[in-house]
Amino acid sequence: MCLRASENMAADEAVFLLSRDRISPPTIRFYAWLAPAVSIGRFQQIDRDIDLAACRKRSVDIVRRPTGGKAVFHGQDLTYAVVGVEQRDGFPADIIGTYRMISRCLIRGLLELGIEARMAGEGRALPETPAKASCFSTPSRYELLVQGRKICGSSQVRSHGAFLQHGSLLLAFDPLRTGELLLPRSEGRDEQIAHLRQAVTSLGDEGAPLPAMEALCLIMKTGFEAALGVRLEEGALTPDEEALKERLLRDKYTNDQWTLRGRMDG
Amino acid sequence: MKVFPEDLLYSREHIWIRIEGDLATIGITDYAQENLGEVVSVELPEADSDVEQDEPFGAIESAAKGVVELISPVSGQVISVNDDIVDDIGIINSDPHDTGWLIVVGMSDLDELDDLLDAKGYHDFIVQEAESE
Repeated sequence: MCLRASENMAADEAVFLLSRDRISPPTIRFYAWLAPAVSIGRFQQIDRDIDLAACRKRSVDIVRRPTGGKAVFHGQDLTYAVVGVEQRDGFPADIIGTYRMISRCLIRGLLELGIEARMAGEGRALPETPAKASCFSTPSRYELLVQGRKICGSSQVRSHGAFLQHGSLLLAFDPLRTGELLLPRSEGRDEQIAHLRQAVTSLGDEGAPLPAMEALCLIMKTGFEAALGVRLEEGALTPDEEALKERLLRDKYTNDQWTLRGRMDG
Repeated sequence: MKVFPEDLLYSREHIWIRIEGDLATIGITDYAQENLGEVVSVELPEADSDVEQDEPFGAIESAAKGVVELISPVSGQVISVNDDIVDDIGIINSDPHDTGWLIVVGMSDLDELDDLLDAKGYHDFIVQEAESE
């Protein structure tokens, strides 16, 4: 499914909030973006962490996620959103344990594409660099690497025993465009882009056959089914989820107070 | 297993609360900060705003790129917010039960305290939670 950035975030948060209230079942959404977009983490400072003017000049949508982490350029990626409830759905009660479980699912899916990914080890696997506002600049524990280069970045939000985990699996990676959009200062930009080029990979860079988006979603779905030992049923948003999505879209994700400041009050 | 201060009450959302009259000082437990890892950002309500029992009053982000909503153990009005966190957010990790406090709430319903756990009850709760995984 291809939606605008604001609609994608509204849909994910609607499913998360209704799972938190124990109404929605565990859900996995795979999606692409109708137009190129930059998503920023819930606590990021927009003027410090991305180049707002460059995004606007390129007509790139900007959306603030409910999840943590850093900025992601959604140019050519497959995004996933997993929503679950800790004990009800058999997910761990902590951030790291949930990353580990979902990474196992992604690894199984990537194997179907002939890619052997592994989880980043304890601590950060690569040194911090000035490009740290970009999600892909440094892998965190249990994020996915292929031969030491990050291919998928993830982030979470948790409340009342429920969680939403977002992740971005790169189909192709454009370090120049990523640097242009996510690095607000020109000083040292070339070095930072060189670092991104070295630290990040993609399905295309790894020589994987790139199936159509729908086929890719099905492959990744089978990875989740195999790793979790479950059978996933395809479906659309429920009427409750759809209604909440529309409300969040109107009140939050098209509201500059949220997008620019990260707060709804004042 | 950690030892939790006896003079505090605890919620199942891993929040501690120290009662003085109708004032409640609130923070995250040592167990919570250890599970979160290094805290990198926190969002707290402003003084004079209202909080409600079992509803989020803020959020906290760890270096693991996870945001956890802070669930209020009581209802009432925020009397003060710990400004020291702005200068040194690390105190939430290094001293969660004391100088790393988050907010003080003027409680509106003291009966809500009946829903909270004492130190032994909280200890038993986290043991049970760990065993159920």
